[in-house]
Formats: sequence, C-alpha cells, structure tokens
Amino acid sequence: MDSLILANIRQRPTRTLVSVIGVALGVVLILVNTGLVRGMLNDRSRRERGVGAEIIFSRPGANDILSASGLTLDIRYAERIAKIQGVQVASPIGKYLQKGNAGLGFELVDGIDYPSYSAMSGIKIVDGGVFQADNEVIIDAFKARKSNAKVGSEIEVFGKKLKVAGIYSPESGARVKMSLSALQNYMGSPNKCSWIAVKCEDPAKQEEVQKRINAELPGNTVQLMRDLPSFERAIPGIDGFIKTILVLSTIVSSLVILLAMYTTITERTREIGILKSLGASKRFIIGVIEREAITISLIGVGVGLVAALIIGWGIRTATTLQVEFQWTWILVAALIGLAAGVGGSFYPAVRAANQDAVKALSYE
Amino acid sequence: MPILQTENLVMTYHVGKVDVQALRGVNLSVEKGEFVSIMGHSGSGKSTLLHILGGLLKPTSGKVIVDGEDLAAVGDAQRTDIRRRKIGFVFQRFNLFPTLTAEGNLKLAEHIHGKEGNGNAELRREVLQLLKLENKMKHKPLELSGGEQQRVAIARAVINRPAIILADEPTGNLDSENSDIVLKMLVQLNRDLGQTIVMITHNPEAAGIARRKILMRDGQIVSN
Repeated sequence: MDSLILANIRQRPTRTLVSVIGVALGVVLILVNTGLVRGMLNDRSRRERGVGAEIIFSRPGANDILSASGLTLDIRYAERIAKIQGVQVASPIGKYLQKGNAGLGFELVDGIDYPSYSAMSGIKIVDGGVFQADNEVIIDAFKARKSNAKVGSEIEVFGKKLKVAGIYSPESGARVKMSLSALQNYMGSPNKCSWIAVKCEDPAKQEEVQKRINAELPGNTVQLMRDLPSFERAIPGIDGFIKTILVLSTIVSSLVILLAMYTTITERTREIGILKSLGASKRFIIGVIEREAITISLIGVGVGLVAALIIGWGIRTATTLQVEFQWTWILVAALIGLAAGVGGSFYPAVRAANQDAVKALSYE
Repeated sequence: MPILQTENLVMTYHVGKVDVQALRGVNLSVEKGEFVSIMGHSGSGKSTLLHILGGLLKPTSGKVIVDGEDLAAVGDAQRTDIRRRKIGFVFQRFNLFPTLTAEGNLKLAEHIHGKEGNGNAELRREVLQLLKLENKMKHKPLELSGGEQQRVAIARAVINRPAIILADEPTGNLDSENSDIVLKMLVQLNRDLGQTIVMITHNPEAAGIARRKILMRDGQIVSN
C-alpha cells in the first residue's frame, strides 16, 4: 500500500506541490505570527525590566508601563517621592509612540531625565555623548546596528530629523531616548511625564516603600514591577489574535487539502473501482487516501517549518522586529498541519469509499 | 457441490420512472475447476450477471452462492469481503494501476487479500512462469504491450488463488495474436492450477476454448 501512496504522490507533482504549499502556508502563518508576537513582547518585557525600577508611580486610571499613555503626570511628584524613606532614585519618564521604521509596527520613544535614569538603570554612553538639545537623541546599540546609524546620523522622531548624539548600552526601555524636556516641548505638555520609575535602596523592602508612597501621595497608582501583568495579558485582544491565526491557518490548509484530494479522487475514480474489484474495503480505501494526505501534510509541515525559520531570520535581519519560535507553537503548527491533512481529506476519502464499483470501473 | 450457483436471479434497474429488467430469473451452476464462457449480444444481461457473480452489484432477488456463501443475502461490506477472499476479476481494459509496476500491482492485490510481506513467493513464481512474465515485473503498465498488460491482470487475478476468476471480455482490447496468447494462458491456468473460470465474451472463437458455453438473450439463459 505504501508503494501505491508514494507512487500517487510522485505521479501528480503539481497536485502534490499545491497541497504541500497549502499546508506549509498554514504552518508559516502560525509560526511567524506567534513568533512575532512572542518576540516583540519578550523583547519589550526584557527592556522594561532593564529600566531597573521596582515601583511604578502613575496617575489613577493611567495605564502601566506596558503602554504609552501620553504625558499626564506632574513631574514634581518625582521630587516628593525621592524624599520618601527607602527610595534611592525616582526618575520621571515620558512615553511617545510612533510609527516603526520601514513602516513596520511601532516604536516607542522615551523622554528621560538622564542623570536619574542612568543612576537607576545603569545605562552608559558607549559612543558620543548625552543629548544636549531638543533636536538630539541617544539610541541603543541594537537600534544603531539595525538603522545603520552612528553618532551624528539623523533619525526621524515626531516627523522631524533628529541628530544621534550618542549610543548607550545596555538595552533599557525604549531604544530611542531624548531629554524629557524635549519630549514635553514636542508634545506640548510642559512639566508632565507618563510615569515615575522608583528604585528602592533595598529591593527586599519594596512593599514597605510602596506603602509609604501610598500613604504620602494617596489617590495615585503605585504598582510593584513584579505585579504588573504580563505583556500578553496587558495587550488587549492578543489571545484572540493568536486564536484567529490558528483558525485561519487550519481552514486554509484544510481547504487546500480538501480541494486537492477531491480533484484527485475524481481523477482516480477508475482506480478506486479497481480497488473495489480487488476486494478493498471502505476502510482500506479511506486509509489509502488518508495516508496519502498525511504524507503530503508531513512534507508540508517540514517545508513550512523551514520556510518559517527562513522568514523569521529575514525579519530579524532586515527589521528591528523580533521573532522568537517556541517549541510549543512548533508542535501546535505541526499538529494543525497534520489535522488539516486528515480533516481535509476525510470527505473525499469517504466519498471515494462509497462510490459505486461498477460505475467507477466504467469511468472515463 | 457447485462452486458457483445462482437461483432465479432477477435484476431490475430503475432508470427514471422506467424499470429495466436486465436479468429475468437466471439459474446457473458452475462446478469447481470448470471453464465456462457466457456469450450474448449487447444488452443480453451478461455483464450484469458477471457483476452480480462478483459481488459488485446486488441482485433485486434470487440467490448467488459462491463457495457456500450467498452474496445476495449479505450487506455491502460482507460482499466486499467475499469478493476479496474468493473472486478474481480480469477486465477488458486490463485495469492495472498505471503508477505501479507489474510487481507492485500483484503485491497490492496480495496486500488487499491480507498477505503481509512478500506474500506467497512460490505461488507467485509459479504464476509468473505460467504467464511468462518473469522478466516484466519491474515494468509499469505503459511500458508493456496490451497482451502483456492483460497477462499481468490475469496474474493479479489468480495470485491469491480465488475460488473463481471472472473474466469480462478479456480479449476485447487485444489483437488476434495477443488474444490467442491470453486465451491459451487462461486454458493453461484452468488445466494446470485447476482454476475455475467464468468468461463473458462477444467473440465465438474465444468462447470456443471453454469447456462449456452458455448463451444469454434478453436477461435469460437460452442455451447451456
């Protein structure tokens, strides 16, 4: 039976290729999309942890550090927080969200008070210097490498060409930073920031510090960094997006397999009649068609995995977007590819098995 | 006890609102080891009879007893099972799998029959020798002549040693030379292996090689 299945796959290379592409497309859709979501969220999460704060102080109802929410908080809170017992540094940070480079995704810009931010996060200028004017920014090494930017280059922020004054390391928060006062000027919000990052003298006592801040400045939101929701939960609809991708991929792959196998069994009506004349049971005929579809699906899954890896590498190389593949999703994509093969070929297989033997044998 | 027996076999096709009686009470008995030919004009009912004898069709009424089992009294799945175990078909158009070699076609028949691995190698060798196919096993059907293809089809039919071989115009697509070869081989199979064969044909010369000739007309046996 195996030789019949392999012979059929080889005999109809175009049909096989179309089916393989259909399954591979589903696998690529799942892996690249989940990889992109995972990569972007993890990258952002890593960099936000790199800020070095234990506590985030923001206006009530304001969103957390996971999103940019404009400049709504008075920066004078930073001075008051800095005086509270147990606080080592309180650094006001402004957030601005702009369109990503090359039109892909989005990009955050931080407005920072460099001395306090540097003291909290440990970032250092590794090339050039700190911004001195409103038209100057600093960028991290990753951004410099991906944008082919160096000290003195220009990058676009607020639709204006701003000069790269320096390159900093390690990665922390947004990859592009300007002075908080510059950001306030550009956004027309003087003396405002998005939130205040607080570093404690003793991280083990951050809950006590949190209580003191709450007591001193009631009515605001004081959150521990470790209690912040994961990025996946913080971004609304991300689960729905991934589920949609899964369903779409399954439908696309199943439909391609269904159409390919349906066409195949129509072409092979006579051969099905021969199988019946030889005494092949319905189960046997369904088995032949299902095994053929599974073999095609396995090839499709393999091709899809390789294609997804290549596309992921291409995205990472050509853009600042991150793609991270997870074994869980690779397994899910492979199972969905196989399920599409089994499911998509089931109807054609049953139809073939139920064909009238005499009519099938006289099929031209 | 006959290896094949029909009792008052009736087959009616429903074509729209019209009923067409293809068989009108056919009684037939074939003994083990017999070579029987069935002749008749188009529409005489011989193809319908062959399909019913092979379990490809279920009769409207009557009995079809093959090696002790009544094909008319069982469902589709059981008919398929009886066909798998007891019947081999040879068709006018050979009906080989074009994607498989001659050997692949034989192995597929053995696999469906339930033989695992290489099947019965000794029997296969004997059949191939008898049909002079030893050197053709690696060829695909399109690489073989019509006569060779029909010999492979005969080998496939006989490879599982069925109780009966049903041949449907086995020489209908062959020239006279290849027809002679194929008919001689059927005779040889019948003589050397004791294979029971029922063959339908238009050709009186082909029918002449059988030990018994049956003539059908208008869905009935008119001469036996």
